[in-house]
Amino acid sequence: MHGVEVLFQPGVMPRLFQGLWVTVWIAGVSVLLSLPLGLVVGWLMTRRNRLIRFLMRIYLDFIRIMPQLALLFIAFYGLSRAWNLNLDATGACLLVFVLWGGAELGDLVRGALESIPCTQVESAYVLGLSSWQTFSRIILPQALRRLLPASVNLATRIVKTTSLAALLGVIEVIKVGQQIIDANRFAYPQATLWIYGVIFFMYFFICWPLSLVARHLEKRWAHD
Amino acid sequence: MTEGQTTANQPQDDQEEGAVLTVEHLVKQYPQAQSPVLNDISFQVPKGKVFVVLGPSGSGKSTLLRTIAGLEPIQGGRILLDGQEVETGHPLGKHSGGPGGLMSGSRSSDLRTRIGMVFQSYDLFPNRTVLDNVTLAPILVQKRKRDQARQEALELLDRVGLADRRDAWPSQLSGGQRQRVAICRALILHPEIMLFDEVTAALDPEMVREVLQVILELADQGLTMMIVTHEMAFARGIADHIVLLDGGVLVEQSDDPEAFFTHPATDRAQRFLSTFTYERRREQDQDQKS
Repeated sequence: MHGVEVLFQPGVMPRLFQGLWVTVWIAGVSVLLSLPLGLVVGWLMTRRNRLIRFLMRIYLDFIRIMPQLALLFIAFYGLSRAWNLNLDATGACLLVFVLWGGAELGDLVRGALESIPCTQVESAYVLGLSSWQTFSRIILPQALRRLLPASVNLATRIVKTTSLAALLGVIEVIKVGQQIIDANRFAYPQATLWIYGVIFFMYFFICWPLSLVARHLEKRWAHD
Repeated sequence: MTEGQTTANQPQDDQEEGAVLTVEHLVKQYPQAQSPVLNDISFQVPKGKVFVVLGPSGSGKSTLLRTIAGLEPIQGGRILLDGQEVETGHPLGKHSGGPGGLMSGSRSSDLRTRIGMVFQSYDLFPNRTVLDNVTLAPILVQKRKRDQARQEALELLDRVGLADRRDAWPSQLSGGQRQRVAICRALILHPEIMLFDEVTAALDPEMVREVLQVILELADQGLTMMIVTHEMAFARGIADHIVLLDGGVLVEQSDDPEAFFTHPATDRAQRFLSTFTYERRREQDQDQKS
């Protein structure tokens, strides 16, 4: 069991929690901002306008094909070189994760919207509902339910991908862990296992409640 | 409208007698199709009468109902509700969109509530309970008071024997029950005419009767209806007026359903009816003998 004492060194756990807070903050803000973006993107992708659909296609494919790390470097280094747009590291992360989450969620929203049979729209139409009432009262609630499992999965992917932020110098939980391990290299050579072990559980306890919430909601809406 | 046209348009004269629905020279054609799905269809549905449309599959029966409900644009002719024009045909052109190009909403909400429609696949809203399915449109579209809408919904559900299922989800109901809820959902808006599009086609045989019984009762109460069905016995029992549609054309119209079933005027109707049961053949034989 040696090396476990490193966790009880003054400042170690508080620092890990500070790092965790940065992770949660970046992931949380990214998820929250990608929700409206994804809804709008998904809605646009179901429009019949060819130009809009084409633009959305390019956006989606571009974001998906590029590795997130490359996107982060473009946002952090590229934008400042090209247009003198200086984002700080956290800002660059948020930009990339929101664009990425919005694109992925948009595709999920599109799939969910298209999976609602068009007879639902037709029966709402003959009942006199306006197209907005049909969308907001009939189509969207059903689509959201079908969307839920995949979007929770996406949220956990965003949480995990925030670890890339360390490469832009954001001091999030992984980076904090590395710093602690480096600082204790001689005193506690086994610290690596313990620190990363703690980080493992930290990620777990962020993502697990998400899937619990998803399961609960799915059960509550299970009359489809 | 000039005088010459007035005489040419037979339906125009009958309008005084209170036709709820008038269809004149309706043409429906899909953008890529060679020939129209519906060609020069004219008829009237008088107030309080039951108008039944028969025809083989692919004859355009459902399309006809869909054009009347505003779900499909028409390419010629016009549709009148209570003598008021609600739709005119526009020939295919740049403006006639692809499939499902209706939702831009050329008809007002108010107009749509005046024509009730029940579909083959019921199409209840799965995210709402039975009661909410029925009260949604009166509250949202007609801006009626919630309590009042609920009360009327419960009365309607009671009439179709489903008051005790008011809080059930559509997925918990049988097909026949769902269809009865769908009928209530349309009735609560007090439409001037109800369109039934093969409402029992997707049901188990045992559930057909419970739905048709409801429609029969509505007919007795004097509701104006247009019914597309494959249930010949039902058509015969309920119809005031019957038409046979084939290949997008009205091949026979009859004010006397019994005569239509026993002595169809056209060859086509005879052939169509002979595809049904042996019993019906026997009836025909007997009729010929007597």
